[in-house]
Amino acid sequence: MTTTRTPALAVRILLLALLTTGASAAADEVSDFYAGKQVRLLIGYSAGGGYDTYARLLSRHLGKHIPGNPTVVPQNMPGAGSLRMANFLYNVAPKDGTVIGTFGRGIAMEPLLSGVGTQFDARKFSWLGSLNNEVSLCVAWHESGVKTMQDLQTQELIVGGTGSGSDTVIFPIVVRNLLGADIRLISGYPGGNDVLLAMERGEVDGRCGWSYSSLSSTRGDWLEQGRITILTQLALAKHPDLSGYPIITDFADSENELEAMEIIFSRQVMGRPYLAPPGIPAERLQALRRALDSVARDPEFLSDAGQLQLEVNPVSGEDVDALLARIYGASDAAIELAASAIRDSDGG
Amino acid sequence: MEAGAFEAAVAALAILLEPSRLMILGAGVLVGLTIGVIPGLGGIVGLALLLPFTFELDAYSAFAFLIGMGAVTTTSDTIPAVLFGVPGTTGSAATILDGHPLAKAGQAGRAFGAAYTASLLGGIAGAVLLAISIPVLRPVILYLGSPELLAICVFGLSMVAILSGKAPLKGMVAAGLGLLVAMVGSDPQTGTLRWTFGTLYLWEGLPLVPVTLGLFALPELADLAIARRSIGGGTRADTRSGQLAGVRDALEQWWLVLRCSWLGAALGAVPGMGAAVIDWLAYGHALKTEKNTERFGHGDIRGVIASESSNNAKEGGSLVPTIAFGVPGSASMAILLGAFMMHGLVPGPRMLTENLDVTYSIVWSIALANIIGAGLCLAFSNQLARVASIRIGLLLPVVLAVIFIGAFQGSRQWGDLYVLLGFGVFGWIMKRQGWPRPPLILGVVLGEIVERYLFISVGRYDWAWLTRPLVILFVTLAVVGLVGPLVKNLHSALTSAQPPRLGRPRLTASAAFTSVVIVALVAALDVLLGWNFEARIVPLTVTLIALTCGVTSLANDLFVRVQPAASDARVAPTDAPIIEGVRSLDLRSVLIRAGGFFGWCLAYLALAHLAGMLPAMLLFVAAFVRFWGRESIRSALLLAAGITAFSTLLFDQVLAIPWPQNILGTAFPALQPWLK
Repeated sequence: MTTTRTPALAVRILLLALLTTGASAAADEVSDFYAGKQVRLLIGYSAGGGYDTYARLLSRHLGKHIPGNPTVVPQNMPGAGSLRMANFLYNVAPKDGTVIGTFGRGIAMEPLLSGVGTQFDARKFSWLGSLNNEVSLCVAWHESGVKTMQDLQTQELIVGGTGSGSDTVIFPIVVRNLLGADIRLISGYPGGNDVLLAMERGEVDGRCGWSYSSLSSTRGDWLEQGRITILTQLALAKHPDLSGYPIITDFADSENELEAMEIIFSRQVMGRPYLAPPGIPAERLQALRRALDSVARDPEFLSDAGQLQLEVNPVSGEDVDALLARIYGASDAAIELAASAIRDSDGG
Repeated sequence: MEAGAFEAAVAALAILLEPSRLMILGAGVLVGLTIGVIPGLGGIVGLALLLPFTFELDAYSAFAFLIGMGAVTTTSDTIPAVLFGVPGTTGSAATILDGHPLAKAGQAGRAFGAAYTASLLGGIAGAVLLAISIPVLRPVILYLGSPELLAICVFGLSMVAILSGKAPLKGMVAAGLGLLVAMVGSDPQTGTLRWTFGTLYLWEGLPLVPVTLGLFALPELADLAIARRSIGGGTRADTRSGQLAGVRDALEQWWLVLRCSWLGAALGAVPGMGAAVIDWLAYGHALKTEKNTERFGHGDIRGVIASESSNNAKEGGSLVPTIAFGVPGSASMAILLGAFMMHGLVPGPRMLTENLDVTYSIVWSIALANIIGAGLCLAFSNQLARVASIRIGLLLPVVLAVIFIGAFQGSRQWGDLYVLLGFGVFGWIMKRQGWPRPPLILGVVLGEIVERYLFISVGRYDWAWLTRPLVILFVTLAVVGLVGPLVKNLHSALTSAQPPRLGRPRLTASAAFTSVVIVALVAALDVLLGWNFEARIVPLTVTLIALTCGVTSLANDLFVRVQPAASDARVAPTDAPIIEGVRSLDLRSVLIRAGGFFGWCLAYLALAHLAGMLPAMLLFVAAFVRFWGRESIRSALLLAAGITAFSTLLFDQVLAIPWPQNILGTAFPALQPWLK
């Protein structure tokens, strides 16, 4: 026994040594590359929104976690709901790991569902991961009389939404189309908070597409006092705080419908996505991925995020890759169903 | 409750008056003044930049810093507006109308004195309005639903009539064009891409900054270039005495100041209204209610006072929905909302009860920032007024170069520069042909929100929303305001001693321009007929109305002969007059010089495409000063190097602008870091 174990151990130690030197050589290379450099973090929106807030906070901390400690500079590159930035990152930005970016959570599925204006293959981006796996909600105002999803089979709910293509517009349409819920969508509100104000003044009865983190930080009292009722969670997995409430996938009638829901709500997993252009050197991609992972565990970062009331619930780059592979491999029928489910067939 | 509120207010003042907090407030004010002076940079940029620095501060200091900054950008934006006819932020375009002619007449000092005093008083009036309305904020805001907001915006839009002066039909067409510009991009209802012509650039619509700079700044600069004279035109600048006269002017007009500032504060609370229209609505209000308005647009100090008092008061108003409901009234308020969250403050009822002291500290911050900001501006305006006498060959290239980079802040794409130039040429022609420009900007800003609230109101209440009392009130006011001047104009023309008569068709430059606009409208109509009903209905209505007015105006141009005396003297021109040096030139020279000016602008664009914006700036300024201004090589190089170094520091280092691709940098990647 001992005679067989010793060489094995020696081999293991040797292998480990080789691996660590190999790894540390790679780390040195990465750290030499990044030392003294600037990494640009492109934000697909103008200053002031959620994506901007997350990205600016991240840029303050990310440099410490990348070998060589580059300076991370946030830059706003707005346009076409961040589609412009996505196209830029894919086609124009240098592919050396000095440019990373963040764009809308639905962008990765755009080529699959609409394809208008997209000039990229979402699977080929170098995904670093997502800082949050969002759980959104459908809620009803207490005066609406609607308490459960089942009520919507017999009762109308007037739901407020913002602009075309936003979560607050797509999600209620999906719920209506896939579940046959009687939802009347009034869209065009300038922002999510305007919808909440409209709810408070009785103009609308609810909101479909409200991230739980934002709800609990700004209107937690509404939930506690029963001024709003959660009808369903819109995500691929339940939020740990909300285990008692149903999730949209509970209502799927068929495998096809479940798959379509997965395609649509996968954007929630990429709630705050970070990515680099396709084809950046593998060891730098590794370094950036691990940097994002470790930022998300950094107590200083978490304390700042807590102060800003930003939820951090990280998803690794590898997990985003796997999710995209699964979605893009979905059956044609499911893709077709998802594409038609997000379309406003009602005409209004 | 009342006593509690008073105590909170006093306590908040005591907290804010602590020396360290006052210094932080002062620092914020300095940053705000700097941002306000530079065209294209507004409070939003400053807030995004400064927000991280407030992590370590307590809530009172953080708000003192941020609000101190935000409150005074509309104080210093007067400086370029008066001196160059270039709005420092989108909120001072109306100041140009009378402020710039005053500077040309050697009265820049008076304009500054009046503007800062009006800004100061307006800012304080806005803060006071916010403070006294705190107890009723929530019920009032809850009462104002989408239909009411729609009616207020429609009422704002009706100001087009008064802002069109002697050319009501052209004003209607201009407003229509503005509304159509507002509808370019992805439609919020259906996602239809309206008039985007296959470009991603137009998806989010035309950004306001290059549109405003193009429409108002470039035409003024073009005229200065054509006249080839310094801004003051050789008159001695009034400095100290003029300033005092200006201060007196503003104090004498206290009632106008108060009206315009409360108007500004109230409109500031309407989400989406924004600084870019509030100054015009106040200007329109002054035109409508003041007596002897024939000098408006030619350097009437009341024009400056109206515009400046309203845009500083706006800040107090736009905080109302932010504090009381967490609904940001503007993009900069959205960032401020982030600051609230950062300090554990949740906007909503608690800001008016347990966190009342924070709310009052915000009110005090606005008031104190306005005092410090106006004081600093007054102290330095002596030197600034002298800028008007600098030779145009030195001044023009620097101002132009900053405008190019400023316009690029719109959405940071090449398209911003094309929009700037396009609206520049269009605005210059409008100015020469006597087309009022304010209605266009009103249309651009209000178009989007009017369409949004219209769909919400109809979608939610069908047509029953029209029966709500406030809606009836504002819509009636709007109809009266819109139709009244038209009827009066027509009536006075028909009943005057020499009524207009019909003549044989006469092809004038004005008729040619109107025809071009009509052709553009028909082309727009052709495109929009392909959209689905919801995306089409509002632009279709607007296009048809604009076309009707356009064709009527063309017929007017072609056939109607009006005796000069027949026009109504009470209806003032509302657009800047063409300056002396330009009027004396014959058309040929004007066109050649204008072509030269816009040619230089195009050359800058070509250079920027080739080698990046900052190297282009260096070359452009040096060449312009040397060859156009005929200044020495030494001055040319020094000036070019100075302004480029400043822009590099500010835009590249501090603001970290993502510079666009350029040809040389793409061809030789090694050069890329230098070609920004």
